[in-house]
Amino acid sequence: MPRGSYETLLAITALCFAGLIAFVFFKTPVAQLQAGGLAQKIFYFHVPSAYAMYLSGTVCFIASALYLAGASEKRDAWARAGAECAVAFGFVVLMSGPLWARKAWGVYWTWDPRLTTSLLSVLIYVAVVVLRAFGGGGEAERRFAAALGVLGTANLPIIHYSVQKWGGNHPTVISQGGGGLRHPAMAQGLLFGFLTITLFAIALIWARARLALANSRLARLEEEAATRGLLDE
Amino acid sequence: MQTTTPTAPESRSTEFVPVSGGGETTSAEALLVTAYILFWAIFFGFLLMTWRKITRVDKRLDDLSQVLSKARPAEH
Repeated sequence: MPRGSYETLLAITALCFAGLIAFVFFKTPVAQLQAGGLAQKIFYFHVPSAYAMYLSGTVCFIASALYLAGASEKRDAWARAGAECAVAFGFVVLMSGPLWARKAWGVYWTWDPRLTTSLLSVLIYVAVVVLRAFGGGGEAERRFAAALGVLGTANLPIIHYSVQKWGGNHPTVISQGGGGLRHPAMAQGLLFGFLTITLFAIALIWARARLALANSRLARLEEEAATRGLLDE
Repeated sequence: MQTTTPTAPESRSTEFVPVSGGGETTSAEALLVTAYILFWAIFFGFLLMTWRKITRVDKRLDDLSQVLSKARPAEH
């Protein structure tokens, strides 16, 4: 992506963030007390962040699977970027959810199927990131991380369907059209949230992939410079 | 340990069910502000960190490329 286009994307994302906050606080109504009252406004970032985790995980999955089929630096970089962004968005989900749950359910955490499967998925992506950061850049480490990336994303549909198939507290307000979206402004706020976080996720994944590619190129040049005895310069 | 009140998936779709044993003592305002601070800290902290790393790596790449391009013609 050309630098100018990337800066335009960031500017549009920043504007969307500002608009989203204004919309959430001035246009969307406060939900019923059982849904957390004012704390329900966490929903407009929490749910899109979960979706962004799925999106990042999908990027990680596709790039990891392609890497396993045929190794390349580009595929490795996108797999790594997807896993890193899945961790970032996963942390947002796992930190904001309990704050909302405290008000809606009375506790920060419960071993609900969706919460547990989400935690498991984030931990798998954390494993990918830690492995790539500290495990060295060898082919075996890259392939193992790619296999973990595929495994992490295989868990994502389980998160999605866990809430419908098993018992627990987590609501399914979107797919079942439940109480969380009764007011039109709530649905509009959520759509606005999806748009904003999608733009942000694209910007972030692209930046991380670019960084991973630049790091690979730097490692190659440093190796060449070291071979020629030029690193002191 | 907290226990959950099991509900059917269809009833969970339209309501929020309190967890037995939980206490609702924290203010919604405090939770909301904490959540939004966390959103900004994680989102923009991560973006800023990435941006700074890219700038640093790009600079190092430029420096190394210059050093290597000077060394390469000298060998021929």
